[in-house]
Amino acid sequence: MTSVVRTRGLVKRYGRLRAVDGIDLDVRAGDVYGFLGANGSGKTTTVRMLLGLVLPTSGEVELLGERMPRAARRVLPRVGALVEGPAAYGHLSGRANLALFDAAGPGGPRRTRRRRVEEVLEQVGLGGIDRRPVRAYSLGMRQRLGLAAALLRRPELLVLDEPTNGLDPQGITEIRELLLDLHRGGTTVFLSSHLLAEVEQLCTRVGVLDRGRLVLQDELATLTAPTGATVVHTPAADRVPAVLDGRVVAVDGSRVVVRGADPAEVNALLVGAGVPVTGLALQRPSLEEVVLAAAGSSLDRVEVHR
Amino acid sequence: MAARAHGAIRRWAVVGLLVATLLVLPSLVGALPADVGDAPAAELRTAALASADVGFSGYAVSAGGLALPVSDRLTDVADLFSDRTLMRVWWRGPTEHRVDVVTAAGETDVHRDPAGTWTWDFEAGTATRGVPASLALPTAPDLLPSSLGRRLLSEAHDDELSRTGARRIAGREAQGLRLVPSDAASSVGRVDLWLDPASGLPLQVEVYAEGAEHAALDTRFLDLDLGDPPSRVLAFTPPAEARVLTAPDTDDLIAQAEQRAPLVALPSQLAGLTRRTLDGVPPAVGVYGRGITLLAVAPVPPRVAGGLDTTLRASPDAVVDAQGVRVAAGPLGLMLVERPGRTAYVLTGTVSLDALAEAARRLPGVPT
Amino acid sequence: MIAVELRKLFRRPRTWATIAVLNALPVLVAVLVRLTDLVPRPGEGPPFLSAVLTNGSLFPLAALAIVLPLFLPIAVAVVAGDSVAGEAQAGTLRYLLVRPAGRTLLLVAKLVAVVAFVLVTVLVVAAVGYVVGTTLFDAQPLTAATGGTSVSGTGLTQQELVGRTLTAIGYVVVSMLGVAAFGLFFSTLTDSPLAAALGALAVLVASSLLFTLDAASPIAPYLPTRYWLAFVDLFRDPILWRDVVRGLALQGVYVGVLLAAAWANFTTKDVTS
Repeated sequence: MTSVVRTRGLVKRYGRLRAVDGIDLDVRAGDVYGFLGANGSGKTTTVRMLLGLVLPTSGEVELLGERMPRAARRVLPRVGALVEGPAAYGHLSGRANLALFDAAGPGGPRRTRRRRVEEVLEQVGLGGIDRRPVRAYSLGMRQRLGLAAALLRRPELLVLDEPTNGLDPQGITEIRELLLDLHRGGTTVFLSSHLLAEVEQLCTRVGVLDRGRLVLQDELATLTAPTGATVVHTPAADRVPAVLDGRVVAVDGSRVVVRGADPAEVNALLVGAGVPVTGLALQRPSLEEVVLAAAGSSLDRVEVHR
Repeated sequence: MAARAHGAIRRWAVVGLLVATLLVLPSLVGALPADVGDAPAAELRTAALASADVGFSGYAVSAGGLALPVSDRLTDVADLFSDRTLMRVWWRGPTEHRVDVVTAAGETDVHRDPAGTWTWDFEAGTATRGVPASLALPTAPDLLPSSLGRRLLSEAHDDELSRTGARRIAGREAQGLRLVPSDAASSVGRVDLWLDPASGLPLQVEVYAEGAEHAALDTRFLDLDLGDPPSRVLAFTPPAEARVLTAPDTDDLIAQAEQRAPLVALPSQLAGLTRRTLDGVPPAVGVYGRGITLLAVAPVPPRVAGGLDTTLRASPDAVVDAQGVRVAAGPLGLMLVERPGRTAYVLTGTVSLDALAEAARRLPGVPT
Repeated sequence: MIAVELRKLFRRPRTWATIAVLNALPVLVAVLVRLTDLVPRPGEGPPFLSAVLTNGSLFPLAALAIVLPLFLPIAVAVVAGDSVAGEAQAGTLRYLLVRPAGRTLLLVAKLVAVVAFVLVTVLVVAAVGYVVGTTLFDAQPLTAATGGTSVSGTGLTQQELVGRTLTAIGYVVVSMLGVAAFGLFFSTLTDSPLAAALGALAVLVASSLLFTLDAASPIAPYLPTRYWLAFVDLFRDPILWRDVVRGLALQGVYVGVLLAAAWANFTTKDVTS
């Protein structure tokens, strides 16, 4: 599979502080890539380096197979981006803003502009917006407008930084559907977020950033793959060790973890021994567990450095 | 700090190079050498004196450091010697030229034709017709390097002249000529003139007071084109909306003053300078000296003297003693000798304060 | 990109408010002069104002001379200071750059927009000045024969007068380029439009102050405000080109150097706003 985003040894130093410390990102075509990290972990700096806004201290960035920021003029028209919240000219309407942004760079033909603006407004749920200036928009509307601006060029790659910020639960669901829809249409999505649930629901691949270092990068399916154990829920947890001697890994109230990747076999053994089984499932680690294990502490914690 | 730092350093280096080039360029042009030439001083002087009919157009600046202690009625003259005066000039000859004194918001133009002058003052909206006078107050055209240079050289002796180097003025190679007055009484240390060897036109004149480091008067061309200017530039017709005035006839004024002036027999020599006659100078006024060392003595009625006395005493450099009050402004000295109830004397000229005091002692009726 | 910048500038209510305020001062001066018949003594006050009472059609020039020393440069400094820093503060800069608008092109477009602003402002001031001047004061009938009188007291045909007025307007626009370039350069240094505008104004105030100081005369020819009033020279007859040409060259040097510095800074800068 081809790489859409690839970095090698990417470093950004501010004075003595290494905000980004040698990361090797690898986002492949067709991924919905979840870029997880606490605020201050270097997420935004990395996103800015991908887009050529911040110039790396060392290391390389490749976007859609070309070196950034050298090839920015060729690459960026094929990329849609939402960086650190939306921004627009407050005195202009949403439509005027989109038209201006579209005209500001190459790759947006003038004759299709009006149609494309209407389409993306429809897509993000602002189809019926009137002429009032952006100044009067709510935070959620601005977020949708920012997303619309990112979608104007029908990009092959979407780079989104906290795209559901400021949206109500309904809005979040809408945007999630929209992104999944785009993904089905072949768009690669790079989603930077500090919300585990959001990433878990949307993404196929995950990278975890901790204090400037990429501590984890893998397919979500692999990370949360069955561990080879079965979780049994039973009111008679105390009788399980007797039936499955030596295979019990942990007992926690009515929840018993048993070695064995075949729940049917475990069920048959337990039921045969007269142990009532109320629930049965293959054990999978949650993303939270994976991230915690990798990052070593809460994402928001700031440790005292000694 | 690889790629990015290199890019930044390279780009700032480009900017630095650009700035350095722009800074160095003017001084390189200024450092272009000028040919000293081998013309002897006397030859340069002759060429300068013969240049009155050389036609040219130009732009000149005169900067004076002479704070003349004069009354309010003569502020125009005082400004001429103490300020920076910018002049545009179109010259066909001594009786056919135009000199514009350019200010930020207007200009005052003197158009000279053989019959007289038109003076146009833009901001006042006046056009004044004047007739040529043999004696007049200094005006801007007198400060042009060409006119001033010729005037200062006119009576110079060859042994007062020497050659100095060369410099670039208004884009021309100008050759230096130095005039050091031989009279002991003179307050002028030296006059440095820079002449265009081809036309003889003085391009810059610097007048230094005795012992002074900076020029008391520095006038030079900034631009100069040789060749007669077109006559339509010199011509002047008062515009319809202008107020047309006639200048007072200075010869008349002098004649009137002459009648009122107290008649005093002045000595034939003062401070080592011999009395002489000058065109237009009334006989009551004594003029002494030669070349750039001149002393004028005028007897004035006591009531006129009172006002002048106040003005002179207000000057911080005034020297007051039993004989009177005297002030030096650069090379220019001015002295008032008062005698209670009787005719007073005004002495002025390019002589030292000591020479003024010595001259005052010889005046009739002054106690020694 | 340039068209985008122009649209942004002129669709902004603040731009037109600035132009309106700029026009208020000359109009106020005209009304006061009309009511009191008091013009500054010749040699004082703005050039041409003393001539307005006799010829109202000179008021556009007086109006320019009124706004030129202070009002116009302030407006230009504010607009130029806002150009990049304003986008940075609003957060729109990053979206322009990922569009992608090339950084160099963006700078040039911003400068062009500021120049367009100066041009429109100066034209509006001149037009309003003409209307105000001809309605409030006696206007000399502008026939082909008697267009007006030059500063040197010679007659100018109407054609000459119009031509010179247009040249003067062009010269005033160019005179503002230096301020614009300072504003633009400072605008790339900071994310605060106010700081950038104040920086450009500080340069102007320093320049005006040094210009009046005798001790600073060696550097006087290089001060950005040195030749601003040289547009008066265009109304002398023959035209005195010396200061006009020097003014143009000086502004060119300032624009060149500052634009180069702005480019060196902006193209290698991390955009973190």
